[in-house]
Amino acid sequence: MDARILLVEDDPSIREITALGLRGAGFSVATAADGPEGLARFRADRPDLVLLDVMLPGLDGLEVAREIRRESTVPIVMLTARGDTLDIVVGLEAGADDYVRKPFELPELVARVRAALRRGRGGPGDAEHLRLGPLVIDAGARTVARDGAVIPLTRTEFDLLVELARRPGQVFTREVLLERIWGYDFLGDSRLVDVAVGRLRAKVESEPASPTLIVTIRGVGYRAGG
Amino acid sequence: MAATSPGERHGLGIRARLAIVVVVLVALTATVLGIGASAFVDASLRDRLRADALQQADYDLGVLIPTALPDGIDPTSLTASGLLETFRLRGDVKTIVDFGDGDPVVSSFDLVGLLASLPPELRPIVDRGEIGYAWTSVAGHSALVLAGRPAAGGPAFFFVHDASDIDRALAQLRIALLVGSLLLIGVALATARAVARGILRPIDAAGRAAARIADGQLDARVPTTSRDEFGTWAAEFNRMADTLEATIERLRSAESRNRRFVADVAHELRTPLTALVAEASLLRGELGALPPDARRAGELLVADVARLRSLVDDLMEVSRFDANAEQVTTEPVDLGRRLGALVAARLPAAQLTLPDQPVVIETDPRRLDRIVGNLLDNARLHAPGAPVTVSLAQSSGAVTVTVADRGPGAGPADADLERLFERFAKADPARPGGSGLGLAIAREHAELLGGSLRAAADPGGGLRFELRLPVTESLPAGDGPVMGGRHGQPRSEPAGSPPR
Repeated sequence: MDARILLVEDDPSIREITALGLRGAGFSVATAADGPEGLARFRADRPDLVLLDVMLPGLDGLEVAREIRRESTVPIVMLTARGDTLDIVVGLEAGADDYVRKPFELPELVARVRAALRRGRGGPGDAEHLRLGPLVIDAGARTVARDGAVIPLTRTEFDLLVELARRPGQVFTREVLLERIWGYDFLGDSRLVDVAVGRLRAKVESEPASPTLIVTIRGVGYRAGG
Repeated sequence: MAATSPGERHGLGIRARLAIVVVVLVALTATVLGIGASAFVDASLRDRLRADALQQADYDLGVLIPTALPDGIDPTSLTASGLLETFRLRGDVKTIVDFGDGDPVVSSFDLVGLLASLPPELRPIVDRGEIGYAWTSVAGHSALVLAGRPAAGGPAFFFVHDASDIDRALAQLRIALLVGSLLLIGVALATARAVARGILRPIDAAGRAAARIADGQLDARVPTTSRDEFGTWAAEFNRMADTLEATIERLRSAESRNRRFVADVAHELRTPLTALVAEASLLRGELGALPPDARRAGELLVADVARLRSLVDDLMEVSRFDANAEQVTTEPVDLGRRLGALVAARLPAAQLTLPDQPVVIETDPRRLDRIVGNLLDNARLHAPGAPVTVSLAQSSGAVTVTVADRGPGAGPADADLERLFERFAKADPARPGGSGLGLAIAREHAELLGGSLRAAADPGGGLRFELRLPVTESLPAGDGPVMGGRHGQPRSEPAGSPPR
């Protein structure tokens, strides 16, 4: 695996040891020390994944995530302080795909990075074509269209949509989705699912406040409607 | 604490007592005065009527009758003389003339039988040739009867004067006195109230101020308007409140400085700690390549970094509790599954007992993880190697998660058990491991979830922790599992956040 990762982290020690660990795991790593620099490196390098510290001087991590999301569907993994629960939700809503709490052990971080990169690599039935209500999903080309217009989705959002649309009517628990999409076996954060569903709805539902394509089954999880 | 209303006091309040005393005094005075006044008026009215009647009877018996009937008096001549009609017309006086034959002549039919009811003392007076009188009643009205014989002798004349005017006058007087008394009592009551309010106003104000202070409004004061004893007292009260407020403010700011310091320390430690944890995790994989001494040092370093990490994590968690920055996000949680996964992840050796039916309650799964995880860590650290059992039971309105170990326990007394939940409390100071905050944190989480966490000494030795969580009704189906935290805003499940 020779994926290119952009690491945006202001603390030199953390930046150095994290880069060291990632390189040791076989990634090629570019680093940036603050928000503006991170954004510039992103535009210059077009990495395969961005690791983003939330607390950054200059332009904070949430702003950087929003900027990147405007122009790319690249996976973003946030590095966040433990227990800053609001930060986590805001970060996910800003467009992050996953988060790793500080302090983290390097194997844990590498596992999250790999899981994020795995998404979007396609799965079984690559040339699959799916329909969900007015949506036309081309699993091979990884595109979703509504009335002929292509909707840009992040890889997480796309995988989530395909997972649900493959078995319309079947209810997926949050745990199952966490395992299949994010690669968590247990103790994943169900907010990852909730926020991703929210973002997906905002893009594909005609009326996100009263969703019909992705339906909440209270106390259980989600299922595809339509 | 609400201000006590008069009804909550034992016995009668000052207002009621003052009102009762005043009303009783006024009523007593009014009664005595009324009785005296009506007796005096009664007597004087009767005196006048009697004097007038006597004068008239004197004239009638001495002058009028002898002149009209100079030849002696018999029933026939009497009737023919028209004297009785004259008396009636002159002053509404009815007359009975008794000839001693048991068949008296009466001027009005309602007088029949009156003679028999007159007091017997009257007859001797009349027989002596004097004029006697008696008070009686005719057809329900008061009447004055004067009795006498004409100077020249003859039958006894009984002049019956109507006295019902006196009765009416007295009745009117009594009504007037009653109305006057009632008015007086009313005025007295109003005065008593006004006086009581005047006296009690400062006390009421002080009571309200004290209640507000008790409610936490430390700036409440008593108005010091008067210059009397109450004014002095109010000033003293306010001085006390000033001192109290200043002391509490000082303590509060010291406490919040302390908390901020703890939060700052934990926060500042986090960045180097993050680097340390990452570095140690890298080092751990390379320990085998080091020379033996360095390897041992490396192992200790890795272990100590883990200890430092749990301490800083717990400190940050505690400081968030202290800052009231916690919010609770609930969702339906299958407790059995959650516990199973937790035990598998944190202490696979523990024995888990679950009820046959799945137990699903509305709670915050992340907090539940922290509580049970900390209890399992505690069992692992303080009862190493001892059997640990985790069980789940449901009763009406609550579920109980029990984590029991067969370790050394805490100590014989209940106080020892409670001390487990104090920050940095350790059952055995010599035993290493743990931040000393885990159980305190677990209890804070339990209380945030509306439940409780208690420790008990297991009869068979060891410690038993019981986490009780309330079973709340699930919200209606739909989006938005929400429960407000202490200061947290309710967070709803995203129905569709706007694209950013």
